[in-house]
Amino acid sequence: MTSIPEFSRRPLELADDFAPGEINFMKVEDFSFFYGKKQALHGINLTIPSRKVTAFIGPSGCGKSTLLRNFNRMNELIPCIRHEGDISIHGTSIYDPSVEVIALRRRIGMVFQKSNPFPMSIYENIVYPLRIAGERNRAVLDEAVERCLRSAALWEEVKDRLHESAIGLSGGQMQRLCIARAIASRPEILLMDEPCSALDPIATAKVEELIIELKKEFTILIVTHNMHQASRVSDLTAFFYLGSLVEFDKTQKIFTNPAKQQTEDYITGRFG
Amino acid sequence: MHTEPSRPHTLTNFTVSLDHLRGSVLMMSSLTQRNLNNSLKGLMERDDDWCNNSIADDEEIDMLEMQIDKEGIDVMSRFQPVASDLREVISSIKIGANIERVADQAVNIARRARKINEHPEVPELHLLDELVKMAVSMFDDAVRAFAERNAHLAVELKARDKELDRLNRELTDKMVQRMQDDSVNLPTYLNLIFVSRCLERIGDHAANMAEDVVFAVRAEDIRHHAK
Repeated sequence: MTSIPEFSRRPLELADDFAPGEINFMKVEDFSFFYGKKQALHGINLTIPSRKVTAFIGPSGCGKSTLLRNFNRMNELIPCIRHEGDISIHGTSIYDPSVEVIALRRRIGMVFQKSNPFPMSIYENIVYPLRIAGERNRAVLDEAVERCLRSAALWEEVKDRLHESAIGLSGGQMQRLCIARAIASRPEILLMDEPCSALDPIATAKVEELIIELKKEFTILIVTHNMHQASRVSDLTAFFYLGSLVEFDKTQKIFTNPAKQQTEDYITGRFG
Repeated sequence: MHTEPSRPHTLTNFTVSLDHLRGSVLMMSSLTQRNLNNSLKGLMERDDDWCNNSIADDEEIDMLEMQIDKEGIDVMSRFQPVASDLREVISSIKIGANIERVADQAVNIARRARKINEHPEVPELHLLDELVKMAVSMFDDAVRAFAERNAHLAVELKARDKELDRLNRELTDKMVQRMQDDSVNLPTYLNLIFVSRCLERIGDHAANMAEDVVFAVRAEDIRHHAK
């Protein structure tokens, strides 16, 4: 087994001025993950504060998306997987027998690389998670649609065509619609897996602007291959390599003076 | 002089552009070293030709300063450097500005030297010897620290700058005294004070360059520290 770097075992010491937010909101402790016999994550230790944007960066296959998909236990849809160690939110393990996976996923919204609006109206896309949660009150649904679309900075663009098909939106609008849908059930955490990789620069800028706006309310974890995006939107950055956490620090530190040579080599484009 | 090359990037053009920027800074430094030496030769050997050469060649250095700024901005806009690469680009631009000021001081020395050369030689000219030696070696070492990415050498320069300041104060006091004793050569003594002041400023610029080298190599900001 690959030895775990000492660095990843040390909790990040955040300065007091890093408030507001709960410093120990999410904790990953000695977390290892296996796809069958292949170990994808090696003893990850990470403490993620609330209402901040934390970026996961690293070359393909380094385990960043695997870790992201463990926060809402999405990896459990894959056969022959297993994990060691623990992930906790607010001090409660997500693997605690009392935790229902459906309820957990309601607390954790997710946005994927490719926008995936349902083939229904803009309105129905947003209210879908509320409808499956049993909400029938029209006024509540209307309020949720406006609130989520405003939060996703899409309201002004679509307010006059809420009942038209979501498939007719542009790529950037579809992605923001998916973000609006992800926050409809008022999650605490938003997981974003390469949310802008299929978008043009203007649409990317709008989503990035949105991410910064949304962190007032949500804790956001974003996986990105675009290091400049990580440096623009995130407060903290974790660099992964070959399934290990190499370095985790404030984004400003990582992108100006990383402590590890591997991080420096990756972010400056010398490997990866 | 040994120069430490950039470690290669996956993107070859990025490495080429960074190396080119570095090469421009080194080219500018060596032209400035030549101009400074010409000015000092003109002063010490009382030869206006050396002074005129130094003044005429300054334009080339001004052009190089603008080229370095352009290359630095080009690297930033094309490759968006981060970490050590970003520090290297920022430092190169700042070092370029300091070298240009050293070159300006070389021109000032050349102009003062021409004025001094109009008058009879005074033995006090050689009171400048120690200052000249120190200012030139400080500038040479600042360039060497940049070329070798040698933060240790750069840190040493800060202490040497204090010594140069002291020598300048001593020389100024002596010249003021001489002006009172020997009013015939007053313009020469006054010009020697100006030259001494130019050498002291060269030391300051060398120390500034050293600070930028430390920032580029170690990501430490050592400006405005008490020590």
